[in-house]
Amino acid sequence: MLKNRLIFTLIYNNESYMLSRNFRIQTVGDLDWLKEYYNFNAIAFSIDELVVLNVERKQKNIENFSKNLIQLSKNCFIPISAGGGIRSLEDAYKLLNSGVDKLVINTPIIENPELVSSLARTFGSQCIIASIDCKKEGNNYTVYIQNGLKNTGLTMDEVLQKAEKLGMGEIYLTSIERDGTGQGLDMELIKRAGNLTTLPIIASGGVGKYEHFIECMKNGYAVATANIYNFIVDGLIKARQSIQRQNIELATWDYDLQSLHNYFKKNNLIV
Amino acid sequence: MIAIIDYKMGNIKSLENALDFLGCESCVTNQAQTILNADKIILPGVGAFDVAMKNLQKYNIMDSLNKAVFEKNIPILGICLGMQILVTVGEENGPTDGLGWINGTVKRFSIGDSKIRIPHIGFNSVDFEDKSPNLFEGLTKGSDFYFVHSYHMICENNSDVSSWTQYGEKFVSSVQKGNIFGTQFHPEKSQSNGLKLLKNFISLPRDNKQC
Repeated sequence: MLKNRLIFTLIYNNESYMLSRNFRIQTVGDLDWLKEYYNFNAIAFSIDELVVLNVERKQKNIENFSKNLIQLSKNCFIPISAGGGIRSLEDAYKLLNSGVDKLVINTPIIENPELVSSLARTFGSQCIIASIDCKKEGNNYTVYIQNGLKNTGLTMDEVLQKAEKLGMGEIYLTSIERDGTGQGLDMELIKRAGNLTTLPIIASGGVGKYEHFIECMKNGYAVATANIYNFIVDGLIKARQSIQRQNIELATWDYDLQSLHNYFKKNNLIV
Repeated sequence: MIAIIDYKMGNIKSLENALDFLGCESCVTNQAQTILNADKIILPGVGAFDVAMKNLQKYNIMDSLNKAVFEKNIPILGICLGMQILVTVGEENGPTDGLGWINGTVKRFSIGDSKIRIPHIGFNSVDFEDKSPNLFEGLTKGSDFYFVHSYHMICENNSDVSSWTQYGEKFVSSVQKGNIFGTQFHPEKSQSNGLKLLKNFISLPRDNKQC
C-alpha cells in the first residue's frame, strides 16, 4: 500500500535557510547551523521527502545553491527535490549532480514552456514538479510567479492544465495567503486541484498544528511544511508520531543511522 | 570497487552518497576497462526508456556491459529506469528495444477504474520472496521503499520476479536472474531499508552463478 508523505521544505536564500510568511522571508541559520545545531541528518529520519527552494530575489546563484545541496544531501537518504532558478538543461544537470532527485519548476511554466517540456522529455515526467503559487481572488485562484511577485493573470485551473500538457509529473501547490501563517492548509484549493488532475499533489502553505496534516492526508494528498515549529528540535518527529496515532499510514524504517551503523558492525558487514 | 554507470541519466550523486555512507569505494564511469574490472556494477537511471537506450549506445557502454555481465559474471543492479531497460521492449515514447536480459516489457500504469494518481510516488510496501542470494536479507516482508515512476515491468517468467508491490494493480517491484538484479524502487532514497539492501548487494560474492 502506498503511504502518505510528510515533506519538509527548506527555503534557501543566499547561503542561508529561511522562514517564510506570505512569501516574506527571514533568516533561520546557515548550512552549518542546520547540520550541527539542528542535527538535520537525524531529523531527516522523521520525514519522507525534502524540498529545497531557492527564493533569491535577484539573479539566483545556482553554483552556490548546488554547493549547498551537495553538503545537505550527504547522509540524507530520502528523495530531495530542489528548484528556484532552473533556466536551462545545464542548470538541471547541475542540480541532479548535486544529490537532487527531482526538479521544482515555477516561473518557466509560464515564461519558458519549451524548457519545461524538454526537461520532462530528458529526465522523465516523474522528475519534474510544477510549483504553483496561488492567491484566492473571487471564485478563482490566481497564479503568481517569480517568488509570488508577478501576477500571471491565469487561474490555477489553467496553469494546472498547462503543467500536465508540458509533461510535468507532480504538483507542489502553495497558498500564498496561508504561507507561514500556521492557520491551516487551504483545503478548498487543494481539493479543487485534486479533482482537476490525476497527478500526485503536495499541499503547502499554512500547516501550524498536527491536525492540519491529518485532514489533508486523509484526502490522499502529501503535505509539505516549512513552519517555524519544525525548527524546534523534535518538532517533525512529534508531527510524524502524532499523524501515525491518527491511523494515517506513513512509511516505517527499521533503523536510524546510528543503529544501522551498529547493525552493520555486529554482522561484520562493514566493507 | 563499484562501477556506477555514467550515461547521463540521473541522480548519480545520491547513489554515490549512499555508497560512501556504506564505506564502499565507487566510481562513476562509462569506460570499458573500469567497468570490466569492477566488483559490482550499478546501473542507475532517472528519465525516459528510449533516451536511456540511445545514451548507452552513444557512450559505447553496451559491449562492456554485456561482457561484464555474461563473460565476467559481475553482479549488476539496475535501479528504477536502470531496471526497466533490462527487458526486451519498452513502450515509453514508442516501442524501443531494451538490453533484453530479462524477458518482458515495460508499460505505463493504467488508471482504469482505480483512483490512483500517476506517477506512483512515495514509500510503498515491497513483498519479497526469499531468493538465494537474498537482497532483502535482514528486512521484514512488506518493508517500505521509495518509488517514483509511471511505467512498470511485466515479466514473462515469474521466476525472474523477486518482489511485488500493489498500486492499483500488483506489479513487479524487483527482479533477479543469476547475477542480474533490478529494483523499481530507489534503495539509495529509502532510508535505512534501502541502505541495508544496497549493503546486501555490495556484499554479494563475486562467483555468483551464471544465468
